[in-house]
Amino acid sequence: MKFLRFEYKITILYTLVGGFWILFSDKILYSLIINEAKLSDYQTYKGWFYVIITAIILFFFIRRYLNKQRNLKIELEEHQNRLEEIVKVRTEELELNIKRLKETQAHLVQTEKMASLGILTAAVAHEINNPLNYIMGSYVGLLRHYKENTFSDHPEQVGKLIEAMKIGVDRSSAIVQGLNQFSRKSDSYNEDCNVNEIIENSLNMLHNLIKNQISIEKDYNNSDIIIKGNVGNLHQVFINLLGNAVQAIKSEEGIISVKTEEKESEVLITISDTGVGIPKENLKKLTDPFFTTKAPGKGTGLGLSITYNIIKEHKGKLEFESEVEKGTTVRIVLPK
Amino acid sequence: MSDKIKIIYIDDEEMNVMLFQINFSVNYEVYTGYSGFEGLKLLEKYPDIKVIISDMSMPEMNGIEFIREAKEKYPEKKFYILTGYEQTEEIQNAIQSGLVQKYFCKPFDINEIEKEINKV
Repeated sequence: MKFLRFEYKITILYTLVGGFWILFSDKILYSLIINEAKLSDYQTYKGWFYVIITAIILFFFIRRYLNKQRNLKIELEEHQNRLEEIVKVRTEELELNIKRLKETQAHLVQTEKMASLGILTAAVAHEINNPLNYIMGSYVGLLRHYKENTFSDHPEQVGKLIEAMKIGVDRSSAIVQGLNQFSRKSDSYNEDCNVNEIIENSLNMLHNLIKNQISIEKDYNNSDIIIKGNVGNLHQVFINLLGNAVQAIKSEEGIISVKTEEKESEVLITISDTGVGIPKENLKKLTDPFFTTKAPGKGTGLGLSITYNIIKEHKGKLEFESEVEKGTTVRIVLPK
Repeated sequence: MSDKIKIIYIDDEEMNVMLFQINFSVNYEVYTGYSGFEGLKLLEKYPDIKVIISDMSMPEMNGIEFIREAKEKYPEKKFYILTGYEQTEEIQNAIQSGLVQKYFCKPFDINEIEKEINKV
């Protein structure tokens, strides 16, 4: 009977009990009752008896069933409450994790900025030391000449010393000027950005990374190209892209060419290198956050992701084309 | 002229070479080159050179690489590094192993360098 549902069970039971009652109750009654006059009274009692008995059986049967259902319902509710509690706890955990993740991401973006700042400070330290060396050399020579008339027989030496000091000062101030541009702190995307100047500044800052074996071919648009954007952020874009081009050149010699073109409503900047190139399967992932082919600890995989975001904020486009062992071309399109 | 101490200065930056030449020619006989290869040639040509000063960061062959090669042939000569960079591990190791006598910072201190040369 267990496999039958409650409604079938109760109907079958009722039919069986009723059927047997009809079949046997009268026979039993006739065999017990001899007084025929009282028979109809007993018939009535028998009917009442049947109704009461079936009612009692049904009552217990239904009560048992309903109790089971009620208990189930209570259990279900308890279970549901527990589930809600679990969901709440899990949601809180998730929210905490998301918060942590956001903090980590912000931290990593900061790390990437600091990393490019690190490259920058090392570069700047060396870059400034060089012109300082010119100035020092010039000072030492001129001081000696002033005290001991050392170069009176070779006046052209004095001229060279003075010239060296001028070059030293000019170069230092060019570096400082470039730095000022880079560290400009502004959120505005409405500044006048001179594209050729920004690229030139970025190349200056990478001067010590671009060793002598890499030659830079420049093909700038004749007139100045001025677009609206964020000067500091655009510096970061070009330092990043040019830095990548320099790092891609691993052989003894290499060429990086930079081209700027002014179109009707946009500016096209092309940076090509003759470096190691990027395998096809990596091309699509280049701007994904945390994608890097560098050894752990060497790169955060955020450089190009940040670059891409800055260009997106300028409503521009960034495209890569590359062939392994041949080199990579990066095209940047910025609206005017 | 011949009683002056002979020294070599190697640097890939023309301006640095010129200034070194002008300033140090007052008290020494200075030979200069723009790369480690030129340095090796100068050493071959002028055997009585006592002191070699080299820039660190140069293309193809850096200062230490040049000095390592030169020291093998001329172990009795004194070698120095003059660099605009901080002291790297490579330079530190070279000083500890006796390959390089000392390292000088750019911008250079002429008294410090002349004092070292005059020790020789």
